[in-house]
Amino acid sequence: MEPIVMLFAWMLIIAFLAFIACMFEDLESDIGSQSNPNSQIQLAPEMGYIHRYFNKAISGEGLSYALSCTISGTIAMLILLQLESVGPTAALLAIPVGAAVGSLVHMVRSSVCHVGREAAHKRFEQPIYLDVLYGHLLPIATHNFLAVICITAIAYIQSNLGILSGVAGASNPFPLPLLCLIWGLTVGAIGSSTGDIHYGTERAFQDKPFGEGRRVVYHGQICRYGACGTRTSKDVAAFCAKYGGPATGLAFGLIVLFENWRTVIGMTLGGVAGPGWNPSLAAAWGIGIGIVIAVVLVILARTIEKWARNKYGPFVGE
Amino acid sequence: MGEEEVKQEEKEIKEKPKEKFKLSFDYFNESRLGIFALIIGIIVAIFPGLPAFIKGIGMMIVLLWGADSVRKTARYGLGTGVPSIGVLAMGFGIVGGITGIAVASLSFGTLVVGGVEIAFGVLAGVALLALLGFVSGNLANGDKFINMKIPGLERGMTELGIAGTLAVLIETSIISGTYAITNVLPNAINNGVIAVIFIISAFAMLQPLNTCLGADERRGRTLLMSIEIGGIASIILGLVTTLTLSAVQGVPLIVLGAVVWVVFYRAYMKACLEEAYAVKGTGLIKTLGG
Amino acid sequence: MIETLLLVLVCIIIGGLLSSLAVHLMPVGGAPAAMATATGIATGCVMLMTGAAVTGLFTASTVASFWVTKPNVILVALSGAVGSMLMIGFTMFVGNLIYIFGAGIVPCSGRVAVDPITKDSQTEYKTPRTDGHGVPTASFVSGILGGFSGGFGGALIYVVLVSDSYAHFSVATAGIVAMGIFIANAIIAAYNIGGTIEGFHDPKFKARIRTGLTCSLIVSVLCGVIIVIAMLTGTLAGGVM
Repeated sequence: MEPIVMLFAWMLIIAFLAFIACMFEDLESDIGSQSNPNSQIQLAPEMGYIHRYFNKAISGEGLSYALSCTISGTIAMLILLQLESVGPTAALLAIPVGAAVGSLVHMVRSSVCHVGREAAHKRFEQPIYLDVLYGHLLPIATHNFLAVICITAIAYIQSNLGILSGVAGASNPFPLPLLCLIWGLTVGAIGSSTGDIHYGTERAFQDKPFGEGRRVVYHGQICRYGACGTRTSKDVAAFCAKYGGPATGLAFGLIVLFENWRTVIGMTLGGVAGPGWNPSLAAAWGIGIGIVIAVVLVILARTIEKWARNKYGPFVGE
Repeated sequence: MGEEEVKQEEKEIKEKPKEKFKLSFDYFNESRLGIFALIIGIIVAIFPGLPAFIKGIGMMIVLLWGADSVRKTARYGLGTGVPSIGVLAMGFGIVGGITGIAVASLSFGTLVVGGVEIAFGVLAGVALLALLGFVSGNLANGDKFINMKIPGLERGMTELGIAGTLAVLIETSIISGTYAITNVLPNAINNGVIAVIFIISAFAMLQPLNTCLGADERRGRTLLMSIEIGGIASIILGLVTTLTLSAVQGVPLIVLGAVVWVVFYRAYMKACLEEAYAVKGTGLIKTLGG
Repeated sequence: MIETLLLVLVCIIIGGLLSSLAVHLMPVGGAPAAMATATGIATGCVMLMTGAAVTGLFTASTVASFWVTKPNVILVALSGAVGSMLMIGFTMFVGNLIYIFGAGIVPCSGRVAVDPITKDSQTEYKTPRTDGHGVPTASFVSGILGGFSGGFGGALIYVVLVSDSYAHFSVATAGIVAMGIFIANAIIAAYNIGGTIEGFHDPKFKARIRTGLTCSLIVSVLCGVIIVIAMLTGTLAGGVM
């Protein structure tokens, strides 16, 4: 296989892993109501709305994913160093073990959150439901594991791309844990800024009118009843898996795809580290393609905004 | 056998402060904890030759101080979430830690007295970051500048700058055993361990308050959690140290981390479950006040 | 030697100022935006900007390794800038998709009556008793510019620290130090904003940008001086893996 074809193939694998990673990241944050919608779960008891949601306020999603991914990357790096003689196949052991440790730490961090925040709600008479506490830890850990294993695999592929694809100089110079930190921060930032909208705007206020912003007076009055019985955070994931999660995965997948794509195209046009290798030309092509993509994005965003304005019309109601 | 004894010793060392912490917790108020942690942190930081598990204890005390500083600045509301100030501390800490290590690697940065290394150079990084923290605190709180009107923000940011720098320094010296840049670069920075140092120290400072935030937050409960994260940090640093230095340094640190984690995780969970409004196996919900 | 030190100092200051400017340009809605109660991207400034900047840093590090020695500073910084810009762009675009198709909400600004770029009227599309919702075109463009400026700042700090004609730190040292300086500046800027901002057309932007840049200048000068002291020791230089 031509090395450049291998480079494109690995790029597509990275983009695919990124899609899976960010989708599960968003669903995991929905199971624990982390990040932005957490403000509503926190506010509800103060408004008298005793609930059975899981209150997982580790920190912002960016940081908590940076934690589990970096730990995973560190453990994977240690195992890879130990098994250096085995060669690249050692990654088959290192990445899953690292991700398991990372998601274990994440599970421990989530378990302290729920009890901590609900204990601080004593004066609002919010009890700690033990079935809520125990019942959510495993889904959190499993979803987190899938996200973290994908991120660790992405970081591993990117830091060894030169060896894997056969194109010298394609590897990223950062070490594995630092790459995990970078992608952990990014995946969390994207998961909280796109996926949370579907949960916070739609699922948490499902009994409020559709198609309008949630007014300040509604804040804290979250929807606490499900199709049958009382709603817990696990029900949120089932709802968001139909739209918010995949859309979030799409955002991160597209970012990773186009980031790598423009670099690889630039490298191809610059001569791919051959005798005619021109680094300035490669970098310039990458920048040019990136600017074109950004312009296309602005036009697309404007088109879709115009469509919504025409189709939905001005605000009706009171 | 030697390790068994070490384990026993550690258990005793750690269990005592915990009892003290719970019973006469008020003794370590914010000022006393700050002074105590500053002294311990500086002593541990300038002697890179200490065994790793003593440095581990020093690290936990410094992280505890950081968490306390975060608590006293962030409980008034920062406008952008509690975690930001913990990350700020570690952003400062990385800059100061690397500068401190660079200075300590100079020939006059480290004295050797009777075979014991004393790395005075790292204090340069600590002092510079204290200055940077103080200036940032004044910028954030000054009425000519951002004017956040948070009582004690100047002091808090100074403390966070120092605590962040000390945390980076102590954790680097745990992993590489010295501040000589020829050892620090391959063992702690170029292999990326600095990333895990950054994020886990940030968590030990920011997560306790963020997680316990609420009307009935209590300082004792919040700080228990910082030590618990310190335990996890010790386990991970111990794993790294076993590879970079030796099992003699790494294994006691892992054991210390595991013991501290179990003890303080249980103490924290118990405290939360006891102090909650009610603990129910399961139950239905109600709406208060209409 | 002196020129090199001064150049690094100046680049760190420029990088810090650009990252502060970037945070002010971001349309950040914070937690209320996740409930469609405020215009902007639904997360805090610090996390969003850091996420964008590290994406830029990733691309910048790949591009910087194209050159065996002496990377071209401007091209590397521009690559980082474009990386952050794309990250912010896709995030805002998919965010809008969820607002429009997931919750049936028209993006509109809450702070201005007319979008300064498209001249579309905003008031009648806004839900009463909210502060706007979604990411309208003006905020979108502002966010793209913010991503560009922040990525440029972060990547500029990284490349002067890693380049062998300037500071010549090891790759990992340069990466983590660039991240540290960027985070310090971004958080001071986030405190200056204090919650939500819609972009360059927001009245808050005009009112606060000067204070923000002043604070960022002071913090970046101090950070730069500290890094220059670290460079002066000469121990970190030449530490490439």
